[in-house]
Amino acid sequence: MVEPKANPVERQPNADTFLPLSRVRTIMKSSMDTGLITNEVLFLMTKCTELFVRHLAGEAYADAFRQKSGETLKYEHLSQLVNKSKNLEFLLQIVPEKIRVHEFQEMLRLNRSAGSDDDDSESGSESDE
Amino acid sequence: MVERIEDLNLPNSVIARLIKESLPESASVSKEARAAIARAASVFAIFVTSSSTALAHKQNHKTITAKDILQTLGELDFESFVPSLTQDLEIYRKMVKDKKESKASKKDTSTTAENANASTTAATEDATE
Repeated sequence: MVEPKANPVERQPNADTFLPLSRVRTIMKSSMDTGLITNEVLFLMTKCTELFVRHLAGEAYADAFRQKSGETLKYEHLSQLVNKSKNLEFLLQIVPEKIRVHEFQEMLRLNRSAGSDDDDSESGSESDE
Repeated sequence: MVERIEDLNLPNSVIARLIKESLPESASVSKEARAAIARAASVFAIFVTSSSTALAHKQNHKTITAKDILQTLGELDFESFVPSLTQDLEIYRKMVKDKKESKASKKDTSTTAENANASTTAATEDATE
């Protein structure tokens, strides 16, 4: 109970999929220049995406609550994990770290005084509170 | 092709279930975290698909294969996924083969062999264990 079941490899192998295959096919097609996706490849990608969801949730949770259980997995845990994991680098723009408005304004001010208006600051603008 | 960006979303209920299964029972997940994981999963599928497509093209193949995906996962630092996916794939292949054989013996003309539904999948699994 205390340790989160974070390890996706311990799962029983099986041929059941939970995510809708048709949706995964649409997602795959959105990035492919060739149209043909075999059923086998579709199955594997669906499985793989499911594994990724388990992995991401499990890792973020394990990271945030090493010892205690019964806590809430929050967005911040995910963005922290993404920020420090090399293989999650592709998610940096998708799950950016939140910053406060005044921090953002400070960043803008520094950028301006440094004379460089970098586009990167846009990705950090998804802040609330 | 994709007409609306929502077509790339994965169903929330399935994502919620997958997350729940990978966390301790007492854990909860914030809405924002769940939405971020769902988004990340879509992007992951696109990322792996385009990387696998690039790999296939490099070998002068037009269509990606299961092997391309597994190799890509290794290159993208997700080699921890490969063993369990390989097992899933074996079971899937066996299931498709069994289906074909039983279809041939029954001279059944139905064309939906590959997209097996969950109950037959489970039955096949029991039989193969």
